[in-house]
Amino acid sequence: MAGHDDSVSSEKKSSEAVNDIPTFNAENMQNNMKAVYYSRTFMSIMGGVIAGILGFTGLNGFIFYFLVMAITSVGLIAKAGFSIHSYFDSWNQIILDGILGGLMSFVLFWTFAYDIVHIF
Amino acid sequence: MAADLVLDTAIRDWVLIPLSVVMVLIGVLRYFVSKLMRSSQLPDAKIVKEGQVIIRARNLRASANFIPSKSFRARKAYFGNEENGLLFVPKGQAQNAQAQMFSDPNMAMDMMKKNLSMIIPQTLTFAWVNFFFSGFVAAKIPFPLTQRFRSMLQNGIDYSTIDVSYVSSRSWYFLNMFGLRGLFSLILGEENATDDTQRMMQMSGFGFDPSKSLGAEKDGLDIIQHEWALPKFEQRAEATLRKLIS
Repeated sequence: MAGHDDSVSSEKKSSEAVNDIPTFNAENMQNNMKAVYYSRTFMSIMGGVIAGILGFTGLNGFIFYFLVMAITSVGLIAKAGFSIHSYFDSWNQIILDGILGGLMSFVLFWTFAYDIVHIF
Repeated sequence: MAADLVLDTAIRDWVLIPLSVVMVLIGVLRYFVSKLMRSSQLPDAKIVKEGQVIIRARNLRASANFIPSKSFRARKAYFGNEENGLLFVPKGQAQNAQAQMFSDPNMAMDMMKKNLSMIIPQTLTFAWVNFFFSGFVAAKIPFPLTQRFRSMLQNGIDYSTIDVSYVSSRSWYFLNMFGLRGLFSLILGEENATDDTQRMMQMSGFGFDPSKSLGAEKDGLDIIQHEWALPKFEQRAEATLRKLIS
């Protein structure tokens, strides 16, 4: 989400008006995807710790996970200035990518925090 | 289902936390060891050249519409003609490159080193966990699971009466092994050990064939529809200016 994407974004936006010439910089795209991946991983770990400390069990925890992921998506969209198409190819990339990948980390840290705080 | 078990707090202090900390530290250690052992061999000039040609061809393909068709045709011929184009691979050479790749002892050595740096710490930690912490409940998963998971989560405990959500220490080790991947990618940056092995699998050894990607790139150049963007730029500029005014 670095500022150097701005030139890409402005160019892209103006090109949409008349004809669709793709003016994407592959490296910047990759950088954006990486940023999404990192924030998702971070949020899944943090969400796991929070869920564990709050003592969620069963379905509640998973609902909490998807809530956290939804919040992350909203945050990422806000960070992109609500103009997704200047940074990403499609909505899927910002909303759906990496949700299941973070689940394992979430479960691990959820279990860890829950065990430390609650069951002993 | 049995009633809740009461676990000793000593288990938390001496098993759960140390085990997790050790797993993290071993992951970090493995990362640095594999970084040390990575031999920085000089890349083969031919392979580097081919890679650069592919990148240039890809750039041409991506921005084909920004140059006049005459220039585009000239470049296309330069890259893809059948006699001495850069992307053109003579028939006999393709096999040769792969065979050479396989017989290169350096490559095999590198691969083995990488694999060893994965396997040795894993075996060692597993033996360590087995030796010290085998056979008791260390943690509880905060969600219910079906009986099927018993063999997976209660590895090392042979009771069938306790709830499945209780996890033995050995299984906690496995959980850690899979779940910490995300954490490693955060604290070690992009190129941690697990990613490295995946990239290795793709790049060297299996299926990576430079001549094949050259051919694919050539096909991509051949089928591209060229349409010069400049004639339309007046309309585009008009639209942009109109948007500015309105």
